Formats: sequence, structure tokens, C-alpha cells
Amino acid sequence: MSDVVLKIRNLQKSFGEHQVLKGIDLEINKGEVLVIIGPSGSGKSTLLRCLNFLEEYDHGEVLFHGRLVGYRKTSHDRMIKDSAKAIADIRKRMGMVFQSFNLFPHMTVLENVIEGPVQVRGISRTDAARNAKILLDRVGLGSKVNEYPSKLSGGQQQRAGIARALAMSPEVMLFDEPTSALDPELVGEVLDVMKSLAAEGMTMIVVTHEMGFARDVADRVVVMDDGSIVEAGSPAEIFSNPAQARTAEFLRRVLH
Amino acid sequence: MGYSWDFQTVWEYRQVFVRGAIITAQLTFWATLIGTSLGLFLGLMRRSDNAALRYPAAIYIESFRSTPILVQLVWIYYSMPILTGLQMGNIMSCAIGLGLHCSAYVAEIFRAGVNSIEKGQWDAAHAIGMRYPKLMLRIILPQAIRRMIPPLINEFATLIKLTSLGSVLAVNELLHEAENLINNTYRPLEIYTAVAIAFAIMIYPFIYASQRLERHWKIRS
Repeated sequence: MSDVVLKIRNLQKSFGEHQVLKGIDLEINKGEVLVIIGPSGSGKSTLLRCLNFLEEYDHGEVLFHGRLVGYRKTSHDRMIKDSAKAIADIRKRMGMVFQSFNLFPHMTVLENVIEGPVQVRGISRTDAARNAKILLDRVGLGSKVNEYPSKLSGGQQQRAGIARALAMSPEVMLFDEPTSALDPELVGEVLDVMKSLAAEGMTMIVVTHEMGFARDVADRVVVMDDGSIVEAGSPAEIFSNPAQARTAEFLRRVLH
Repeated sequence: MGYSWDFQTVWEYRQVFVRGAIITAQLTFWATLIGTSLGLFLGLMRRSDNAALRYPAAIYIESFRSTPILVQLVWIYYSMPILTGLQMGNIMSCAIGLGLHCSAYVAEIFRAGVNSIEKGQWDAAHAIGMRYPKLMLRIILPQAIRRMIPPLINEFATLIKLTSLGSVLAVNELLHEAENLINNTYRPLEIYTAVAIAFAIMIYPFIYASQRLERHWKIRS
């Protein structure tokens, strides 16, 4: 079996007249940390959301372990939308962390974390709670299991969001600007959790504006602009010796 | 010219008011039952991705919202037996008419409540692999229902008032009983005053409860 977790081929997506993804090709290998950077509106988040089909794409393919995500092909090679069950089956193998956390406000931290395992995976409450407590300890929220999200700081909410995604034992974690909504002093605690995940060998795709994280943690950095990939390479190549003028221009602006 | 008020007559016939109020309560009960269950169903249909569900719901809701309830009641009263072949009592056909009317408004309350939940909640539930029924029951509705309760209570209060239209179909609810009484006693002012008070006594507790509930939730969140 190949080690390719996700393969993206000629991915295109438009919102009305505006084409936000103009043919993206990308592969993510098992255990790899891929960081996507680029100016606002470059299509980074849309690309990430297409991977678990929160966003429907118009052309091209997303393959998860070789399986088409969101669509199935008819005998005439036409793509039709897959069944809700098939889409959900793929989603539960990927974890996602959102910019605005999106915790369930009517549930405690523990209930948030066990919701997926119990309701989707069918794991018993006891087993799910035991595992959730281990995860919450790991993200430093062992003392907050019975709090409601509204009682937590942004950094704590985001760490709970990470624990909720990890509880599904995902094969890949998608991070959609996980620190962009946080006060600057809370960014570090979330990045630390992500770094430890990376160190454990989790396959991660991270859309972020944190250049330090991209430089220190990424195996590969992808630079996007205007719906296309400008260039991709190791952090050293991208940050020290960008091949494209657009990359250099973007880095000059974000790094001052 | 002085008018001499005589509430003694009203008091003597208090049983008539109680009798009418019971019918009013019965009408309200059945209409609420029909209205909320059908309304939730219609609200779900109207939010559906499937046009075969969405369009009929939309047509139903908008026709009931854009025609007078009195016309609806009379129409249902006369056409139901012809369309269904069932001979219904006037209380039942009035309750059905009120219920069908009310369901259109409940559907809209439901839709607005569900739409008011942030898109991120849907994303998060989808991302953990949840599918529509569980997503609705466990994530969206528990949050949406809070926002739906104040307008639903409002609609309920409106419904109690609308039961007085039953008098047109000779349903012996509060207003109809009162009108019969006026024909016997010739004391319209006192009797209409009593009718107004009786409705207020029935409705105000719900309005009060709704306000308390809203304040309670505002403090908690």
C-alpha cells in the first residue's frame, strides 16, 4: 500500500462567478505535516474544507487513501454526489479544527469530546469518557472536563476542539487557521499542542498565518495565492530561498 | 345620559362563561397539537434540499399566511366533508382549521430558529461524521428550541384569541356563548367586558411565563 493519505488532482471550485480554486494538485503522505500559507482570500481554507467535503468542489478529485471524496463515478465516468453515509464515513476518519472553535455550547467539554465516539462510532459512554479524559489531560484541560465552553478562554476552547477531533482517532488532522481568532498571548498554548501532535507522527494539514510554526514544524510548506499553488517546498527553501517573486513578496509583508 | 352598569347579570350566568371557556381551551388544545406537530414537519420540509419536499411546504405555508383565517375556517368547515367524505362536528373542523393555520406560522418559527444556529455548528457536527437526523436532534435543535420558545408562546397566545372565530361556525366557545347570552339579557357591554377579562385571564399567564423564560436565558448565557 502506498503512503499517500490524500491526493488532490486539478481541484477547482467557484463561488458564483469567482473562481477560488483554479486547479490544485497536491499529495499528503502519512506522518507528514503540511502547512499552507498565503494571503487572505487565496483559497487556503476553501481547499482545506474540500478535503472533508464541507465544501463541494466543482472539478477535479480529492482521493482519501485512493477513495474519491464526496462523489462517486457512474459507468460513464460522470461524477455524482455520494450518499450521506459514504460522505460521513470518510469524514469520521479525518479530524478538523476550526478557526472559531465551534464547540457545542450546550454540552460540557467532556460531552463535546465523547459526542463523536458515542454517537457516530458507537463506542460505549464509559470507554469514550475514559479516552476523552486521557486526551483532555494531554491538551492540558484535565481540570476543565465538566465546564461549559462559554466558561473557557479561547485557547482552552481551541484545545478542547483539538481533543474533540482527536477522539475520533483520525488518520489526518485538518487545521483551519486554528489560532487566528485567539488573543496573541493564547496562541502559544495551542501551537504547543499541535507541535506535540506533529512530533508523535500525526498526519497534519495546517492552514495558518503563524510563520514561526510553518518554519519550525512543517515538513513541507505550500504557498497559495489567488486560488493556485505558487510554490511548495521545505521550510528552508520557502523561507530562505523562495523561487517565486510572489512568495518573496508575501513573506516580506507578513514577516515585516 | 348615564348608563347603569349591571354586572350582577354576568355573575348570575357565570356558568355559561365557564362552559365557553372549556370549549375555548379544547379548541386551543387540539389546534396546538395539530399546529405544532404539522408545523415542525413543514418546517423541516421547507429546509430540505429536496425540491419535491421544499416546494409543497412553501406553497402550503405561504397560502395560509396570505389568506384571512376567517376565510380558511369557513372554507374548511364547508369543504372538509366534501373532500374527505367525513362528517365532522363543528368543534373538530374548527380545531382542524385553526391547527392548519397555526402550523404555517409554527413552520416559519421553526425555520427561523434552525437558521439562527451558526454555520460552524453544522460544520463541526459534519466533521465528526454526524448525519442529518442526529445532527438535528443532538446539536441543532437543543440550541434552536431555546430561541423558538418565545415566538412559539406568542403564537400560542394568538391562537387562543383566534378561537373566538369559532363563533362564526356556531362553535360554543366563549364568544359564541357570550353572544347567546346577550340575546337573552340585553347586557352587551357587561358581557363583552367579561369576555375580554376571561380571555386575558387565560392568555396573560403564558405571556408572563415567556417573558420570565427569556430573562432567565438572557442571564444564563
